[in-house]
Amino acid sequence: MPVPPVKRPDRHYNFERTNVVFAVSSIALLLATVWMVIPDYAKPWKRLQSQFRDLERQAAIEELAAEKQSLNENELAQLGAEVAAEGEKLVAQRAEIDELESDAVKVGKRIFAADAQARGSKSLLDTARYQLDQALVSGLEKRIEAAQTKVDGLVEKWTGEIKTLELLTGQKEQIEADLEGRRARWTEAEKRLGALRSGVDSLDERIANLDKRLDYFILNAPLTDFIEPDLKVEQVMISGLFQNINFTTVDRVDRCMTCHVASNRQGFDGERWEEPFRSHPRPELFVMASSPHPYATFGCSSCHGGLDRATDFARVGHSPQTQEQEEEWVHEWNWSEQKYLAEPIYPARYSEAGCVTCHAADVWTPGSQVQDTGRELITRLGCAGCHVIDYPAFRDLPRTGPSLNRVASKTNAGWAYKWIESPRDFHPTTWMPHFFFEGNAQLPATQARQQVEISSLVAYVWDKSEKLSYVAPPSGSATRGEELFNTVGCTGCHILDGEARRDDFFPQINRLNGPNLVGTGSKVDAGWLYGWLKDPKAYNPDTRMPNLRLSDQEAADLVAFLMNQRNPHFEGLEAPAIDGVVRDELALGYLRNNNTYEQSEAILARMTDHERNVFLGEETVQKYGCYGCHDLAGFERSKPIGVELTEEGSKPVHQFDFGHVHDVPHTRHDWLEAKLLDPRIWDEGKEAVKTYGELSKMPNFGLSEREAEAILTNVLGFTKESALASRKAGQSARAAALAEGRKLITYYNCQGCHLIEGKGHAILSSLGDEGQLPPNLAAEGARTQADWLFDFLHDPGSVRTRPWLSSRMPTFGLSDEEINALVAYFAATDESDVFSTSPSRPDDRRSLVVGEVTFGMLQCAKCHPAGEAEAGVSAGDLAPSLLLAPERLRHDWVPGWIKDPQTWIPGTNMPQNFAQLADGSFSSPLADAIDAPMFSAQKRRMMSVFESEEELENYLADADKVTTALRDHIWWGLN
Amino acid sequence: MKHTFFRLALGLSAIALLAACGGGDDTTATTTEAPLAAVVPSGGSGSITGLVSYSGDDTDAEINMDADPVCASAHSDPVSTESVVASDGNLANVFVYLKEGVGGSHTVSSEAVLLDQTGCTYVPHISGIQVGQKLVIRNSDPTLHNVHALPEKNKEFNQGQPFQNMELEKSFDTAEVMVRLKCDVHPWMSAYIGVVDHPYFAVSGTDGSFSIEGLPAGDYVVEAWHETLGTRTQSVTVGDGAVTVSFDYDA
Repeated sequence: MPVPPVKRPDRHYNFERTNVVFAVSSIALLLATVWMVIPDYAKPWKRLQSQFRDLERQAAIEELAAEKQSLNENELAQLGAEVAAEGEKLVAQRAEIDELESDAVKVGKRIFAADAQARGSKSLLDTARYQLDQALVSGLEKRIEAAQTKVDGLVEKWTGEIKTLELLTGQKEQIEADLEGRRARWTEAEKRLGALRSGVDSLDERIANLDKRLDYFILNAPLTDFIEPDLKVEQVMISGLFQNINFTTVDRVDRCMTCHVASNRQGFDGERWEEPFRSHPRPELFVMASSPHPYATFGCSSCHGGLDRATDFARVGHSPQTQEQEEEWVHEWNWSEQKYLAEPIYPARYSEAGCVTCHAADVWTPGSQVQDTGRELITRLGCAGCHVIDYPAFRDLPRTGPSLNRVASKTNAGWAYKWIESPRDFHPTTWMPHFFFEGNAQLPATQARQQVEISSLVAYVWDKSEKLSYVAPPSGSATRGEELFNTVGCTGCHILDGEARRDDFFPQINRLNGPNLVGTGSKVDAGWLYGWLKDPKAYNPDTRMPNLRLSDQEAADLVAFLMNQRNPHFEGLEAPAIDGVVRDELALGYLRNNNTYEQSEAILARMTDHERNVFLGEETVQKYGCYGCHDLAGFERSKPIGVELTEEGSKPVHQFDFGHVHDVPHTRHDWLEAKLLDPRIWDEGKEAVKTYGELSKMPNFGLSEREAEAILTNVLGFTKESALASRKAGQSARAAALAEGRKLITYYNCQGCHLIEGKGHAILSSLGDEGQLPPNLAAEGARTQADWLFDFLHDPGSVRTRPWLSSRMPTFGLSDEEINALVAYFAATDESDVFSTSPSRPDDRRSLVVGEVTFGMLQCAKCHPAGEAEAGVSAGDLAPSLLLAPERLRHDWVPGWIKDPQTWIPGTNMPQNFAQLADGSFSSPLADAIDAPMFSAQKRRMMSVFESEEELENYLADADKVTTALRDHIWWGLN
Repeated sequence: MKHTFFRLALGLSAIALLAACGGGDDTTATTTEAPLAAVVPSGGSGSITGLVSYSGDDTDAEINMDADPVCASAHSDPVSTESVVASDGNLANVFVYLKEGVGGSHTVSSEAVLLDQTGCTYVPHISGIQVGQKLVIRNSDPTLHNVHALPEKNKEFNQGQPFQNMELEKSFDTAEVMVRLKCDVHPWMSAYIGVVDHPYFAVSGTDGSFSIEGLPAGDYVVEAWHETLGTRTQSVTVGDGAVTVSFDYDA
């Protein structure tokens, strides 16, 4: 019977109760440990990786089923039967084959033994030779003799052994060949069967690898998952591309692929796969090791933004695309806006904003059309006129609007008033924004002030403007003018359409470069228009409108046509009378900035009515920053009025004022988008509270959503410096030449007519006929001589390379610096030297004779005018005159061009005569053709410079020789 | 120190465990040896025949070949552009093919399709070809032609044929209805080839009739394509015999 424990008097605590306390606390500790281990182990990304494994396996199983479906059963059965039949034949010869096989083994053994013996003898021989060498040094006759004898004996032995070995090897090869021969048909059939089944087999293997077996669970179990887990954090360290964490910049450590498991693999797209299990949509550009942006060196977050090292969905900085998605994320991932994350992931529609970090110096971002369009929009809208945007594409841009220094010569004040009031009523596609009567100008008092402001603007501009007088133009035909308008090249930059909207042209906005010419007759003076068309620079020396070298008659016809374009709402207008009281109140407001009440009133009192109008006008120009886009006397050096946008993409969200607007989500991109679409939105409900001067001034450009999106795809990328210069694109001399050229090409709108870097030819929509398209400038740097290009750009009227085109290359009046920049640009696009060497006439007469004859045989003159008499006789002048070639083209480029035109200029009408073979070389059709009876005269002519027919044929079969001969004929035969 | 020991011990025991069950792996990893499914039948006994009708006139323009005397002298009668060839309310040169419903893979006909350039026109003006089938382009004229194909999905080519009776072999990798071919020397010359990945296509004759034969039973979408009048589609169910389908084009 157990004795109850006696409570010992020397203990101050109850032993039993202590046990209970220990027991309870150790259980609690165990539970706490388990609690600690589970959340530490059960990371959401592990679940995702495991889920992907299952999905991938499932897909492979389905693929396998499909693969089996598509296997041609007949073929399979036939091959199977063949394998079986051949196998049977082999069985029939079993005894022989067995014998051969055992022979082979036997001989193999003997070979091994013989080889070992020979090697042994060889080393003995080497030793003996060494001894002979030593003996010779010692000079002792006897020793020499003995050593020599030994060497001789060993040489003989070794030679014999080698011969045996060779004999045996020969025997073995024979046996093997015999066996191989007997088995060949069987092996071959087996191989074909294997090939047929290889798709199935490799899928089988993949499925087996994706199975979750015991080893999978052990390797990924808590505690054992340090050995070699399948589920693990994928990370890459990226040097030179920074993340700003708590005010320090550190190299990025990218872990996105921990969850986005398939992004670097192909084939995970289509409806079946959803994020995070999709392939990157542009593998040719991103992620893949062979792309220009491999994952290992760029990671994901350096382009997409977000917190690089986070593996928790909510902390990464994912940005939902829609309200719906946001709700789903909140529900599923406990997602919330990361308020303190400086650069969250760009929402998918802005994801190309990330290019700016490294590609700003390129000016154009090859591969991102939306960014390029946005950049063009920023340039043409004149954003950089008010906002400093310190990136190469937007630095030192010329003003985008027309000069107003002589505007009084061109139009009248009544038109100007109505135009400023509401530009899009006149030109629905105009870049000029609406400044007045916007959302924050609804009160009568505000509207009265704005009317006065417009009138004062007109008063100021007319006061400063020079007034030139023009005589009436000669009379012209509107019909001919219309035809000319559509064909001579105007439509590369201008449209004439009252119904068109700017958004209709998205993303190719080249044709909106110049004003929409609708209503021209109600806007301008006919005399001015004639003078302008004849010589735009006479009116405005800085205009980008080129001179089309129109004859007097052509200009008169165009004037007749354009002056017929009327807008009755904009005719016969007078600028409304100015309300003196409102004007004086506004003027006093400006005066009081620097003066006391008393002084201000005294100054105003000294001014005449006109002076007051002009004074207010000047202040209003300053207020709205009109000089950001227009040349305006008195404002040549004024500073832009808007906030700098260089780091707008890094501006913290809390610095954006959302005012009383509650339905715009509090993110950077939502604020900016709302601002672009309705620039006065944040004044909502504040018109009566703010003073008139405090109201938002940013004008309304009437942007469509996709235009705003394209602009934002740039602006969101205007972030704080986050990459080492060495990691950025556009740092080389070549890149600098490209950037400089691209700026000029955008400014002068070359792509309105030409195709450059794969973009342009905007004029096609008005020309209709592809045959009338101005040239594709691919390979321009490789094909034309720098000197010729310089002269041509300097004076395009001096030569007509393509006389069949109705449009003509206009004279832009480029400066030498600009022309040199363009020449360097074209050389850089083709990575050719700016200067080429000049050729010398070949000594070998063959080249000239073959060139002349083959030039005829290939009927080059069918398209290329090649002489005075022939020009214009053939099927239309389809190709440039070859008489121009020696001056214009690079002689070392021409043979390659003749050989393979499509590679140089995709889509060219120049046919390929030298077909490319599978191995990449080119074949010539001439060697075969020359024996045809119809070419007997040609053959005779060529034989005069060749020794034999064979020699001639070899020459004609060589595409390089023939194309060089053709070039030589063009250079020295024709010319 | 202790920690390292612990990890090592665990690692080793895990490896031992793995090794122990390693042997079993081969047996557990059964490859899914499903029987091979039945092959998609190629060829069947169904057919689609029909008529393309047109309510308008033959509006083809006459071609002026004066630019190349070789071409002009090849014809005594005027040549038309062949874009709308209609007579008695029937429309020729309509490419009819099965757009949807054809599955599986098909053997490519070993017979080459011939496109001839004769008298500075393409003969035939409209034709069809299978993906991978050989296309022979011949120049029967004693003048220069270039064959400039303007596909969107296939590879563009532009090959000169300066010699009479010169032949060129090409094939297309991807289905594309239609691929246009033109000659840049003679701007009036154009031809269209429908590239499809099965043998079920036809071109309507001068009587407007067409027939597609050897069809397996099934539901199909048939499309008719015309150079200027556009496309028409119809759904048909093909059984053992012939199904009649007609397409109507309005002027």
